[in-house]
Amino acid sequence: MEVNDIIKPENLVYDKPLLMNENPMHYCPGCSHGVIHKLVAEVITEMGMEEKTIGVSPVGCAVFAYNYLDIDWVEAAHGRAPAVATTLKRLNNDKMIFTYQGDEDLAAIGTAETIHAANRGENIVIIFVNNAIYGMTGGQMAPTTLEGMPTSTCPYGRNIALNGYPLKISDMLAQLEGTCLVTRKAYTPQQPSEKQKRCSGKHLKTPWPEKGPPW
Amino acid sequence: MTEEIRLMKGNEAIAHAAIRYGTDGYFGYPITPKSEILETLMAEMPWKTTGMVVLQAESEVAAINMVYGGAGSGKRVMTSSSSPGISLKQEGISYIAGADLPCLIINIMRGGPGLGTIQPSQADYFQTVKGGGHGDYRLITLAPSSVQEMADFVGLGFDLAFQYSNPAMILADGIIGQMMEKVVLPPYRPRKTEEEIRKESPWAVQGKLPFQPPHVITSLELDAAKMEENNLRFQAKYRQIEANEVRYEEFRCEDADYLLIAFGSSARICQKVVEIARAEGIRLGLLRPITLWPFPAQAIATYADQVKGMLSVELNAGQMVEDVRLAVNGKVKVEHFGRLGGIVFTPDEVLNALKEKLG
Repeated sequence: MEVNDIIKPENLVYDKPLLMNENPMHYCPGCSHGVIHKLVAEVITEMGMEEKTIGVSPVGCAVFAYNYLDIDWVEAAHGRAPAVATTLKRLNNDKMIFTYQGDEDLAAIGTAETIHAANRGENIVIIFVNNAIYGMTGGQMAPTTLEGMPTSTCPYGRNIALNGYPLKISDMLAQLEGTCLVTRKAYTPQQPSEKQKRCSGKHLKTPWPEKGPPW
Repeated sequence: MTEEIRLMKGNEAIAHAAIRYGTDGYFGYPITPKSEILETLMAEMPWKTTGMVVLQAESEVAAINMVYGGAGSGKRVMTSSSSPGISLKQEGISYIAGADLPCLIINIMRGGPGLGTIQPSQADYFQTVKGGGHGDYRLITLAPSSVQEMADFVGLGFDLAFQYSNPAMILADGIIGQMMEKVVLPPYRPRKTEEEIRKESPWAVQGKLPFQPPHVITSLELDAAKMEENNLRFQAKYRQIEANEVRYEEFRCEDADYLLIAFGSSARICQKVVEIARAEGIRLGLLRPITLWPFPAQAIATYADQVKGMLSVELNAGQMVEDVRLAVNGKVKVEHFGRLGGIVFTPDEVLNALKEKLG
């Protein structure tokens, strides 16, 4: 059987989303950023929002998210993505705005911005990618690092007496009245399931609850 | 709607001028002595008239990053604070400068360092014109000395910011923010449409156009060679601003034997000093820098051949005096007089200092 006989739409098990460009990814092998980028790209295309989406990339490994998805992006300072997204949405109400943030960005240096953007009920989506360490800076302890888990700044494992407890930021956000939805899913490097895709993308265009602000 | 004559505080004038100038968004955090800006905007509810968004942020840091987001989408956005709050914003200001974005920042200065006082001061001169945040960048800095200029400089600040794609700052002190004067408010002008933004700010994130490359707002460039190119581009822009945008005002300088250099509320006091000195037969003039960066160095240097001495009069321990000395390059004696920590000098104090230091 020739290769061209195999490459047919009915045999297709993987297709690169149209929004993903040819730039080689800088992510480490096995990292789930690539999978999550792909899911986000697929969902934006499925929604037909390619020209109406603005992403906010964080500080950390995903700072370069703008190199891989061909949409408009604003690169935010560490932790400030929800504040940046707040204005992008309020001043560009017909656009779909999402942030893409890691655990140190969202739950350490940017805790205030995360909580207050959620509490104000900003009509934005935060995609929170939690790997329980700082990636780009070299594997230091994050707010979500688990008890006993070794990192470069807690080489003998996270010690609760010394470092406190892992921050349950998603649980905290779920308590806020302004939050529309908090959902969470584990990502693995294998082909993502429909469920995972729904988790990262379906809620991008979450409708504003019936208590919208006056603008 | 046409222009309107009102009596109001400098802070209130800024709020009204912002609405009338077609500002798209204001993002701020309360702090004395500038809170009237946010309070006036909230009371005016411009989102019901011009569509301007006004938001009380959870922190100074969030407020400046809200400005960053709005500026990235080509909107006319602003924030305001007072000295300690401006310190908190420095990181965001550096990012905005590093991403070539236009915005307007207002600092109604109070006495420091630290929590300091809530009384007026001009001790943030260094912070504003020498950088403040990290990296080699400059802020276009306007120093109003009246409530009228508080209103006028909102429009001027936005115009310069957009012309050069650079953050602009109105550097005023608590006196100008709190005092009431007659002010002519400008006529209303509409906010920019999305089409106008695409034309005037083709770099703005507005959603990717078909067959066009996406827009990315960032100050990041890990390739040092490219980052140097970015910096050289910034420096070329700064040289252009220095060549074209210096603004200053002269008061009785033409025959002056001595020159006062003062900005903001200090310049108002120094006008009185000039009048008293002239009545005593001392030929005194006043040069008031309106732009603190770019600094009117050339104008000041010209007077170095004419006058016997210059006194830089500031509500600080001697900051602008360094730029005056650089401008005259040793040609003439330059001294400083100031009061610190929120105390405002009287005209007599300034005149005595002039006689003592330059007499």
